[in-house]
Amino acid sequence: MQPFRYIRPRDQAAALEAGHADGAAFIAGGTGLVDLLKLGVEKPLSLVDLAGAADLPAAIEETPEGIRIGALARNSDVAYHPLVRRRLPVLSQALLSGASPQLRNMATVGGNLLQRTRCAYFRDLAWPCNKRQPGSGCSALDGDNRMHAVLGLEREGAGADRCIAVHPSDMCVALVALDAVVHTQGPGGPRAIPVGELHLAPGAHPEIETVLWPGELVTHVVVPVTPLAARSHYLKVRDRASYAFALASAAVALEVRGRAVHAARVALGGVATKPWRSREAEQVLVGQPAARATFQRAAVAALAGARPRAGNRYKLELAQRVIVRALETAAAGRAT
Amino acid sequence: MDDSSTRQPAIGRPAPAFQLRARRPQLRGDDPISLPISLPITLSDFEGQPLVMALLEQGGVPIDAGSWQPDILRAEARGLDAALLVLTPDGLWCFRPDDQLQRFAALADLMATDLLELRRDYGLAAGAGAGRAGASAGLYVIDADLTLRFAHLASAAGGPTLTTLMDGLAIARRDLGHAQPPRLLLSRREMVVSCLCGALAAFLLDGPALGHAASAAAAVSSEVEIALHINGVTRKVRVDPRVTLLDALRERLGLTGTKKGCDHGQCGACTVLIDGRRVNACLTLAVMADRAPITTIEGLARGEALHPLQAAFVAEDALQCGYCTPGQIMSAVGLLREGQARSDAEVREAMSGNICRCAAYPNIVAAIQRARQDTQRESQQETQQGS
Repeated sequence: MQPFRYIRPRDQAAALEAGHADGAAFIAGGTGLVDLLKLGVEKPLSLVDLAGAADLPAAIEETPEGIRIGALARNSDVAYHPLVRRRLPVLSQALLSGASPQLRNMATVGGNLLQRTRCAYFRDLAWPCNKRQPGSGCSALDGDNRMHAVLGLEREGAGADRCIAVHPSDMCVALVALDAVVHTQGPGGPRAIPVGELHLAPGAHPEIETVLWPGELVTHVVVPVTPLAARSHYLKVRDRASYAFALASAAVALEVRGRAVHAARVALGGVATKPWRSREAEQVLVGQPAARATFQRAAVAALAGARPRAGNRYKLELAQRVIVRALETAAAGRAT
Repeated sequence: MDDSSTRQPAIGRPAPAFQLRARRPQLRGDDPISLPISLPITLSDFEGQPLVMALLEQGGVPIDAGSWQPDILRAEARGLDAALLVLTPDGLWCFRPDDQLQRFAALADLMATDLLELRRDYGLAAGAGAGRAGASAGLYVIDADLTLRFAHLASAAGGPTLTTLMDGLAIARRDLGHAQPPRLLLSRREMVVSCLCGALAAFLLDGPALGHAASAAAAVSSEVEIALHINGVTRKVRVDPRVTLLDALRERLGLTGTKKGCDHGQCGACTVLIDGRRVNACLTLAVMADRAPITTIEGLARGEALHPLQAAFVAEDALQCGYCTPGQIMSAVGLLREGQARSDAEVREAMSGNICRCAAYPNIVAAIQRARQDTQRESQQETQQGS
């Protein structure tokens, strides 16, 4: 592990100042960052521990705009919070499907938004990786790419074949389906960023993963409470029953009026370079009967633009089945 | 041997007796967490467990103050249940496998005659200024019955290299077999002794290199003084910010009940409670745990009375090799506090962060259910009695 300075600012303002320094990195739960420090993938010059920043929120509260979740809220606190369980079931389910109870007790919402990929080549310094070392190449293209992305990849041009790493977060997939808004504080003042616009597909610059500036700090997330959100579901398929990253997952939300789909959200995890919202699938669903045939057409639409490689072609079929089952479960669920 | 004042120690014979007395009484360490040493130390104090002794206080091995990292060596020795006695220019270091860190006694605090006799009886030259070639540093392994099993003497010129130490090891092996018919295989004891010597040799040679790395690192990573509230006791330590809570517990504070498995948050062997919640100590930097209440496996039992989960793990035979068990139990303590898991399936899911390579899972689930029901019954009885 490369040496670094450890700084524990007392408030947000001091944290922002410390975070603005060259090579500074924020740390909250540490589950992602400490792991990558040990691997030598992350090499910050200073670590700014947010735990001491008294005015950085960890609370989960109801506000007129929706449920407001502080950046320092732990994954387990969010997942088990009565408001979240009742009003945003897909978020609770997504969080509980991720990692282990220990990690969920540590990991924060702010950190989970910025979670780095689990691509084995990214994590192993011995391999070329455009995300870790721009221009060095992508080892996954012709390597072991069973876990890699089929969506969020450019077909041609400078952005083609630079990186096929999957975004690993479950929580982000649910937040994308729920139209959550990420609030930040940065050198330029506060910003509100729809979570769907926070992450960037790799394109020509896989090393740039979000629209955040260096030193910009996530302060909280606001999740609108809607009829859609109440009838939502997260389904995750993985190599073992628990405690594994997704091979494919879906966060879906349905508002059914009569027998027809009035509004729908479909977001995918485990198959894309960023938390993936499928507007194609949503368009197929709206106005159609809330029935299996509709869900199957939506699933086909969701994967229409996929670019599989040798090891991950199975994800096309798998992701479609996950979408259909998630929609069926949501449709059968009791609307509140 | 032309020097009549030194004696070559004989392998396979009783190790020369020695004593190290304090020059003045009530010698205490200057480290805030060390315990007072009980001097004198004599050879017979070590009867019943292997002793590795290194005499490095004069010339020979170029170990400077600061490069000596006893914690690492202690961790090596702990695994073999061996005691260590080391004399360096820093002073005297003595560890038993279950001791707290003991850093004490500059050489000047020990009786000079005792040191001279020790060196002489173990084949070392009287002093660095003796002016004649002779061994100035030595490495010895003394068996549990106080028989000298291995000795390697290094000359003042050049100091030992890994090769010469390994040569010494090879010679030691031959010597071990000398009195007996030739044989090809080492006994288990000889194997343990050989491994220990190899580890120690490699470590001692790493010493100076570690020292350099540490001083380079110090330029950027400055140490931080923290207070760890562990099992109700506050322990002050200075740590590099890169040190994880797991390493601080095991290597600095001697609390080795918390285990290191994967060191990447994937196996759960390092599970402890911080603020009453189960977390992975391997992914927590020690500095991040400053002033937070921490509970480790050592803090569960009340004296001789086991924690209900410890008792349940015994009753249900919820382990085989036992390595993951402290983590499993700490995780289960967290699980019961969370109160989310009730059915067997829920318990299995809520314990998914703890891997058991022996696959004792069915009995682990049974133990947790037993403890959960016992605790529930007790609290119900209390409620009834109270109403």
